[in-house]
Amino acid sequence: MAQSDKLERLMNLTAALLDAERPLTADEIAERVTGYAEGREAFRRTFERDKDELRQLGVPIESAVIAGSYPEVHGYRIDRSDYELPDPGLAPDELAALRLALQAVRVGEQSGDGSEALWKLGGAVATDADLGGGPVGAGAVASLPPDPSLVPLFSAVLDRRVARFDYASSGGDAERVVEPWRLDYRRGRWYLTAHDLDRGEERNFRLDRIRGDVTLEEPGTFTGPAPSTPEEPDQPWLYGDGEAVTAVLRVDAGQAHWALDQLGADSVMETDPDGTTTFAVPVTSWPAFRSFVFSFLDHAEVLEPADLRADVVAWLSGLAGEGR
Amino acid sequence: MSKALTAQERLRRMLAIVPWVAGQPDGATIEEICRRFDLAPDQLQACLDTVFMVGVHPYTPDALVDVIVDHDRVQIRLPDFFRRPLRLTPAQAFALLAAGRSLQSVPGADESGPLARGLAKLAATLGTDSSAVVEVDLGEVAGDDLALLQQAAAEGRSVEIDYYSYGRDAQEVRRVDPWRVQAAQGQWYLEAWCHRSEAERVFRVDRIRSVTLLDSTFERPAPASPLEVFRPTADDPRVVLDLAPSAAWVVGQYPVEVVEERTDGRLRVTLAIAAVPWLERLLLRLGADATVVDAPDGLAGVGEAAARRVLERYGR
Repeated sequence: MAQSDKLERLMNLTAALLDAERPLTADEIAERVTGYAEGREAFRRTFERDKDELRQLGVPIESAVIAGSYPEVHGYRIDRSDYELPDPGLAPDELAALRLALQAVRVGEQSGDGSEALWKLGGAVATDADLGGGPVGAGAVASLPPDPSLVPLFSAVLDRRVARFDYASSGGDAERVVEPWRLDYRRGRWYLTAHDLDRGEERNFRLDRIRGDVTLEEPGTFTGPAPSTPEEPDQPWLYGDGEAVTAVLRVDAGQAHWALDQLGADSVMETDPDGTTTFAVPVTSWPAFRSFVFSFLDHAEVLEPADLRADVVAWLSGLAGEGR
Repeated sequence: MSKALTAQERLRRMLAIVPWVAGQPDGATIEEICRRFDLAPDQLQACLDTVFMVGVHPYTPDALVDVIVDHDRVQIRLPDFFRRPLRLTPAQAFALLAAGRSLQSVPGADESGPLARGLAKLAATLGTDSSAVVEVDLGEVAGDDLALLQQAAAEGRSVEIDYYSYGRDAQEVRRVDPWRVQAAQGQWYLEAWCHRSEAERVFRVDRIRSVTLLDSTFERPAPASPLEVFRPTADDPRVVLDLAPSAAWVVGQYPVEVVEERTDGRLRVTLAIAAVPWLERLLLRLGADATVVDAPDGLAGVGEAAARRVLERYGR
């Protein structure tokens, strides 16, 4: 029955701390909460473990020095407004739709986070109801990759906390200090859209280029408005810090529709009668654009600007073992 | 007896079950509680037996959680605590929001349906005015094609697809039995049985130019394993590459089979090669960051040859 004893004790401890109008000292907890073994040392060890375990679950146990105590004595309580989930008022069909989403989409490593969130909202609800007739049927599954920075940055967005992290870019690793606005998943990667405080403008950061831990300042450390309309570039060659240059790319007829899908109709400069198409493409990240150009092998050619064309030639010459 | 849950697993559920049952005016049946909170009846019973003893000092009846089990119906009356479930942790909120935003981004999703409404309420609870703090784009595809393929997979109907094979640079019409449509790594993929190659194939949905639903049906195979965009076979030739540290991303994005760190900081990897153009593109892209260490006869020197071919286009 050890499991039951422990569950009972953890629930009693949570109830006592929620019910307390002022912080309770460890002695008071030992006296008022049933389920702890006799003896000061045994109590202390178990209480420390219980406290850690509850905090892991997200139970906001506050610890503060009891006013006027000397020598200082710590007291513990749970502020109900920090503990309680406000009722979102979900209708059964809305809860069912959320459950369906959790079943259809794998977010990062499969953990219990999704199901526990659902329990807190009222548990799984049957999903046989028609959920709006969208195209998502049985077996429709998407998976989003995990990243250790996702949850800290998500907290930062929600609580408006300034975030700091080391970021690897073409210029080397450097610390960035940002006001995080939004997490974007596109082209198979996670990005953070944020206001870069040192550069004074909006930037996109690839989460897989964040090195080490993200550290957060206190909640509410920025108030600036988040951009109301998402305005993130869709193409990898637009992620970069440099000034945009316009690259002119000529693509053979057989591959032109494929290029058109990627570049969009707005970028077409000229279509020859045989279908060969010339595109004008704004580029801020040249390496990303070069990779895109090489995906056409010998079916595409950078015409302008001259220095980028020269870079392609130099790059290929290096590979071909010539011109060094 | 069902699998015993740890104290923590039971606590996670009970902190949600107790407020939920207490909030139902007539209580709830054991069957419904078990279904909602993913428990077996004996597991629930064990939890309820414990909750019966929970309360605060001085543990008088008015200070205890009051559990009444009458036949199959459970009612809970509470003192002042446990009226609401515990807040969502950031990881939990993120899991829900990201899953919901993903489904919402699928072409044809209902923008004012139950999911959209649920996500908006969830966002409000999290203290933000919009669920758009997480934006998901699973990949560009024509909504009609995606819907047709999903319908075909759900109904077990064969389709004809007009497909551009990027690896071989050829446009072809094929008849396939669609098994599953999945988004991964920024693209939508169709897993299907290809009648022409008489084998399972994975197609990128954005390279399908048109889909025709056929009348013929097929038996769906057993549930498939997680999507593998390219599944190397023993017959595919292997190439061994050394990668500079700046090209280490290849390991995460290509079907690399063996990775070995060299003393000079480079990574030695073994890749199965599905089609020659595919290897050419990779080598052109990596440039000096990759060196071919070993390749079978047909693949030796493909990077140099491809570079020379493209150079000719530049008049060199």
